[in-house]
Amino acid sequence: MEAFQSLMDGFAICFQWQYLLFTILGCLVGTIIGVLPGVGPAAGTAMLLPLTFGMSPTASIIMLSAIYYGAMYGGTITSVLLNVPGEAASAITCLDGHAMAKKGRAGSALAIAAIGSFIGGTVATFGLVLLALPLTRFALKFGPPEFFSLMFVGLSLAVALASKSMVRALIAAVIGLLLAMIGIDPVMGVPRFTFGEKALLDGIGIVPIAMGLFGIGELLLTAEGAKPSVINTRLRDMWPSWQEFKTSFWPIIRGTGIGFFMGLIPGVGVLVPTFISYAVEKKISKTPEKFGTGMIEGVAAPETANNAYCNAAMIPLFTLGIPGSAVIAIIMGAFMMNGLIPGPFLFKEHPDIAWAVIASFYVGNLILLIMNLPMIPLWVSFLRIPIPILYTLILGFCVIGSYSAEHSVFEVGLTLVFGLLGYAFKKLDIPLAPIILTVILGPLMERALRQSLEMSRGDFTIFFTRPISAVLLGLAVVFVITSLMKMTAHVKEDQEV
Amino acid sequence: MKRPYQITASILFILSALITYESLQLKYYTPLGPGPGFFPFYLSLCLAVLALVMFYQATFKKSDSRPEDFIESRLGYLRALAICVAWVWAAGMLERLGYRLTMLVFFPFLLLTLGRVKWYLIVLITLLGSIVTFYVFSIQLSVPLPVGPFDGIFEPIDDLLY
Repeated sequence: MEAFQSLMDGFAICFQWQYLLFTILGCLVGTIIGVLPGVGPAAGTAMLLPLTFGMSPTASIIMLSAIYYGAMYGGTITSVLLNVPGEAASAITCLDGHAMAKKGRAGSALAIAAIGSFIGGTVATFGLVLLALPLTRFALKFGPPEFFSLMFVGLSLAVALASKSMVRALIAAVIGLLLAMIGIDPVMGVPRFTFGEKALLDGIGIVPIAMGLFGIGELLLTAEGAKPSVINTRLRDMWPSWQEFKTSFWPIIRGTGIGFFMGLIPGVGVLVPTFISYAVEKKISKTPEKFGTGMIEGVAAPETANNAYCNAAMIPLFTLGIPGSAVIAIIMGAFMMNGLIPGPFLFKEHPDIAWAVIASFYVGNLILLIMNLPMIPLWVSFLRIPIPILYTLILGFCVIGSYSAEHSVFEVGLTLVFGLLGYAFKKLDIPLAPIILTVILGPLMERALRQSLEMSRGDFTIFFTRPISAVLLGLAVVFVITSLMKMTAHVKEDQEV
Repeated sequence: MKRPYQITASILFILSALITYESLQLKYYTPLGPGPGFFPFYLSLCLAVLALVMFYQATFKKSDSRPEDFIESRLGYLRALAICVAWVWAAGMLERLGYRLTMLVFFPFLLLTLGRVKWYLIVLITLLGSIVTFYVFSIQLSVPLPVGPFDGIFEPIDDLLY
């Protein structure tokens, strides 16, 4: 009951006109970002981070979260109408969504995706409300060794699931941790790896890293490609038939379950639940051979799983302070810029902010549902903006964003450096998500490690003698070993083929 | 993808050697516990080991085939280069010339190099992106953008807008 009372207080805050406005604005901007090719949710959230500098912490987090789930839905529109996923999570939707569009049923596909996303997102947020306080109470028992082990589990999952190659994912994670070491040492106040550059004393900010890796890097890559053609849709074609509703019912329920449980596991990434839910639908379908030719289940399940995942992924962030994906890591960065550390203490010290943001998830999901159905033709019109104009405007906005983060041209230069790094890493298939996760978690991990070793006077067994810490480290080992075994099996299969 | 991974692994190995050297200049351990060099030292060792594994895998194991879009057309590279040149110009000139003058060059350069855009759109976007955006961010959103020594030329516009 306590959680629901707090949620009601959260609604009271987020229904204030200014927060409602930021939610609507975030959903609008997020959807545009999702629609635009070359700008994924991570890039969009990073690029728009500086817009929130002048806002209160609540408004800033509400708006960034709305941008996040708005972008996730926006990606669906391009998947269905262009056969180009606006963001990775919508890749699987291309298969049946675009096939439906070719048959003149684009409206039905988009409407079912919107309804599924709403249901998935709302149920997942309800899960967050239910789990928030019990998990937080449990996490309050954690000391530095448990926190270190918990973050280690998060990282091991991110690495294990991030890439085809564990070596490449580990390299990305270590590079992120090393980037986090730049600046003043958090315990002794000694400058590290600053090379006499004053601008580096505070460390490298989240904006140049995220904007560079995900924004500029992606733009450099997409600037090389060609523009696909758009399938037009009419407003009167939007509403799905009764049969389509009936067919989509169970896929939406299953997608919600899969997305929700995957969201609880840090590092899974949004691709996994969408692909699993698609695979499940295909497996249990009486006509699996028709998948890929325009089956509504192939849109309903992954799109629902996608949004359920995004909302459920907030649970580890809010309760344990563990970001599960690159976008969540950027949102965590926004929390930290506002002097807030997500995790168990957030509910204790800033319950008003925590619950207002959670309540805004409900409101945001509802706004997306109401807004998106009639506005799809408008979103599609953004795709008619010529690529040179689109990229020029985005780049101009990135210049402002990277400068205004610290009011320094050093950050602008640094953004390009990370942009080139992101470009190179994408070409080399080195995953970028572990870098941003470790940049955010690095300082927290180091502090927890050093505090733990201070407690034990340098004895590393402290991580294994405390039960919670030992269990968490055991889990990390299991994740890494199973992932390694899977990779070895794949290599053997490839060699046999 | 054999050669790109070999080159990447070599660069990472050299980088890890430099970081190991730098971290050894910091205190490894103090009476209070691990020092500032402790964590980076082990991380640089991890990076060195991973770089060696990557090099080994690239050289002796079956490597991933190179994706079709790994090497793009000359025009594609030129577009990417244009973005980098525009960005370097912005980074170098923002504080010297101010936001508005810098972007008066930045926008038309990108619009002309990334594709074909009608001249009136170039003028419109340049004015919107440099002068109107400056007004919106500096005044409306309270996000100050740099002002240069020649910004006096915008006084008539400032008088009109503020």
